[in-house]
Amino acid sequence: MADTARIDLLDPAEVARLGGIEIVAAGVVEGFLSGIHRSPFRGFSVEFTEHRAYQPGDELRYLDWRILARADRLFVKQFEEETNLRAMILVDTSRSMAWRGAPARLTKRAYADRLVAALALVLLRQRDATGLITFDEAVREVVPPRVRAGQWARLVRGLERTPDGGGTAAEAALGRLTSLLARRGLVVLVSDLLFDRDLALTALRYLRHRGHHVIVLHVMDPAEAELAAAPEVRFRDPESAASVVVRPRELARAYRDTVRREIAAWRTTCRRHGILYHHVLTDLPFGMALRLLT
Amino acid sequence: MTFLHPVALLGLAAAVIPALLHLLERRVPPEAEFPPLRYLSEAERQSARRLRLRHVLLLLLRTGLIVLIVLAAARPLVPAPAAAPLRGAAGHQRTALVVILDNSVSSGAVADGRAVLDRLRDAARGSLAAAAASDRVWLVLADGVARAGTREALLATVDSAAVSPRRLDLTAAVRDAARLVNAEPLEGREVHVMSDLQRTALGPGQAAVARGVRVLALAPGSEVPANRGVGAARVSDGAVAVSIVGTPGARPAAVTLRVRGREVGRGLAAPGSTLSMALPPGVGPGWWVGEAALDADELRADDRRVFAWRVAPPGQVTASSGAGPFVAAALAVLEQGRRVRRGSDVVIGDRLDGGAAVSVVIPPADPTLIGQLNRALAARGAHWRLGSGGTPGPVATSAVEGIDGIQVTRRYRVEPTGDGGRETGQGSTVLATVNGEPWLARDAGVLLVGSRLDTAWTALPAAPAFVPFVDALVNRLARGEAPVSELEGEPGVQFRTHGADTVGAIVSGPDPRESDLTPAPAALVRDVLGAEVLDARALGAARFAGGGKTDASGPLLVLALLLAAVELGVATFTR
Repeated sequence: MADTARIDLLDPAEVARLGGIEIVAAGVVEGFLSGIHRSPFRGFSVEFTEHRAYQPGDELRYLDWRILARADRLFVKQFEEETNLRAMILVDTSRSMAWRGAPARLTKRAYADRLVAALALVLLRQRDATGLITFDEAVREVVPPRVRAGQWARLVRGLERTPDGGGTAAEAALGRLTSLLARRGLVVLVSDLLFDRDLALTALRYLRHRGHHVIVLHVMDPAEAELAAAPEVRFRDPESAASVVVRPRELARAYRDTVRREIAAWRTTCRRHGILYHHVLTDLPFGMALRLLT
Repeated sequence: MTFLHPVALLGLAAAVIPALLHLLERRVPPEAEFPPLRYLSEAERQSARRLRLRHVLLLLLRTGLIVLIVLAAARPLVPAPAAAPLRGAAGHQRTALVVILDNSVSSGAVADGRAVLDRLRDAARGSLAAAAASDRVWLVLADGVARAGTREALLATVDSAAVSPRRLDLTAAVRDAARLVNAEPLEGREVHVMSDLQRTALGPGQAAVARGVRVLALAPGSEVPANRGVGAARVSDGAVAVSIVGTPGARPAAVTLRVRGREVGRGLAAPGSTLSMALPPGVGPGWWVGEAALDADELRADDRRVFAWRVAPPGQVTASSGAGPFVAAALAVLEQGRRVRRGSDVVIGDRLDGGAAVSVVIPPADPTLIGQLNRALAARGAHWRLGSGGTPGPVATSAVEGIDGIQVTRRYRVEPTGDGGRETGQGSTVLATVNGEPWLARDAGVLLVGSRLDTAWTALPAAPAFVPFVDALVNRLARGEAPVSELEGEPGVQFRTHGADTVGAIVSGPDPRESDLTPAPAALVRDVLGAEVLDARALGAARFAGGGKTDASGPLLVLALLLAAVELGVATFTR
């Protein structure tokens, strides 16, 4: 009986049919938070939780000198946050996000909207100031981080107001973010990452350097992970209109390897810079995706 | 390499199918949106070389697969390893075999102390005995007929084959035999020629033996007898011309002439010469049969030749004043020699005599009378008339001896009436021409001459052949000849009858070319017949060897299967 209430663990496309973003997100969060009574997000407070490896940019005052003395290794102490967190969620609304590999699935944008709404609700319920930036090739919508009543509704409206855009340029949105997050906080980038990795990483590293916690949520349709189509297809990029003729059966293995290499490269690079990276397919239940973020 | 089913090679055109499919498949692919195009481009860039190699490899494999299957369907024959040719139950590959046993007249010669036919028969028997039940076998004798049958039946035919009076054209026989075996879908195709390989037995042209057909010829014996034979014996104007044929350089032979069994003359002649022997004078009218015979030599079949001729009673001839003085003088000579008598059976003149059975008409001296003469000819039912003046030229004829080449200076064209030039009926004949135009024609009891028999018109009256010409004109040509035709066969004569009358004769005898026993050189045999000339022992070793050829369709199919497996592997594991 309990499982039937946990819509956060159902198929995302099925869950999306229950209603709009608010209803779905609320339902997902209800299921997700049942049994969780403490904030899963780690901040810098007085209650020690765990160690993690030192990353350039970490404040030296949190360095654990005793471990350094004993093992000659650099670790910093993490503490459970008790106070308000300032979180900004960046949502990629470019044209490529409005794509899905099968009619029975959600588009990447629809999946991202619902997941972001649920995440925002979780944060706001913990009295964390949460804001939103949507972007494609430019910043489209900005909701500054607040914790006041009605903030979640504003965030949801912000998502709904943003139409599907054109190209993608995450670095502009990340640059804008720095002016909105004066204090250290949490930055969550939700995107299909189909843009220049080096430019985006430069911006993310800068945020990390400013002391922000950065999480990259790589949203991908299952059809983007495995190539399967007619014997010969002309594939066209919805953003640039560039096209290429391929035989999917011939190229499937090489494509799969390329995607895996790309994901691995993102994961490795992010880890190297203290950025959390998660790869999410759009058929993953929202609750499991939320759990990745916590 | 030869093929049992070469038509199947047309299927090689199918080898372009993979390339065509490759091109057609790439025409207009469907379009689809795909955001991670950068991953796709990267994957393609990294795989481009591998994919290009894969495409070329698959194309080659598929094309090769089709080519191999088509080649296998054509059933190619390739040289087989000596140790492992495809062999039937009798120890040789299945073979289509034609044995040509040349039992023509010349095979009756005796060489090396035995009949040539016996030697040929032994060799033919050897080839047939070596054949297996799985082989297809034919036997060709001098009649040129290919006899199919079981090995035992053909062996019996060989045993019973005697010397035939017929000549065998070896070139034609080998050509037909090669076509016969080439049409058989068997691995081996052979023609064995058991012949004395006379040079004269090789007909015109070449046998044009298809590739893949082996022709093996038994080499002629070491001894070639110097033979002489009677090639022809023809009666003409009281004499018989006997042509002696045979091996060039053979010494002269005694010729004996017999009429109705009685010796009437003897002579000596060498091969290549013609002996003219007078027939006994005073033989009465009627059909006469004689023979010219030589002393016996190694080939008896051509030592005797029969001839026949008809002796007609002297013609009763009248020459009108318009015939001219030369004709009158010639008739006087003939009358003295009792070749003609005075009478009205044949009338020579420049107009038609209604009472004569046969008229020899020469043009009138006065040109204005030509029209009158033509009307009279038409009224008589003749199909010839005198036309305009013709050009001078020499006489050309084979009907009358001695006048060929004699100059004609003036003449009228002898033209057919009605639908000019068409056959004017039985008995209507052109006997001599000038410049290709009729000059002497016979039709319906009329002999029409294009020139007056006068030295102002032709040199004929001044020639020695003039009297024999007039003799032939009135005794033979005007009264119609009783034809004597010749036929290849046993020496003999047959008479043709019509009612109670004998209207002709057929004399038969061997082909004179059979008398020359000179064998053709091996090089010529190879060139004309495409044959390997082998002695009996070598022939026995070479027969059914088939050039060591074997059907390669099996290995080709295995190779095709391997290729198909490789193609499947490449198509599956290189994606």
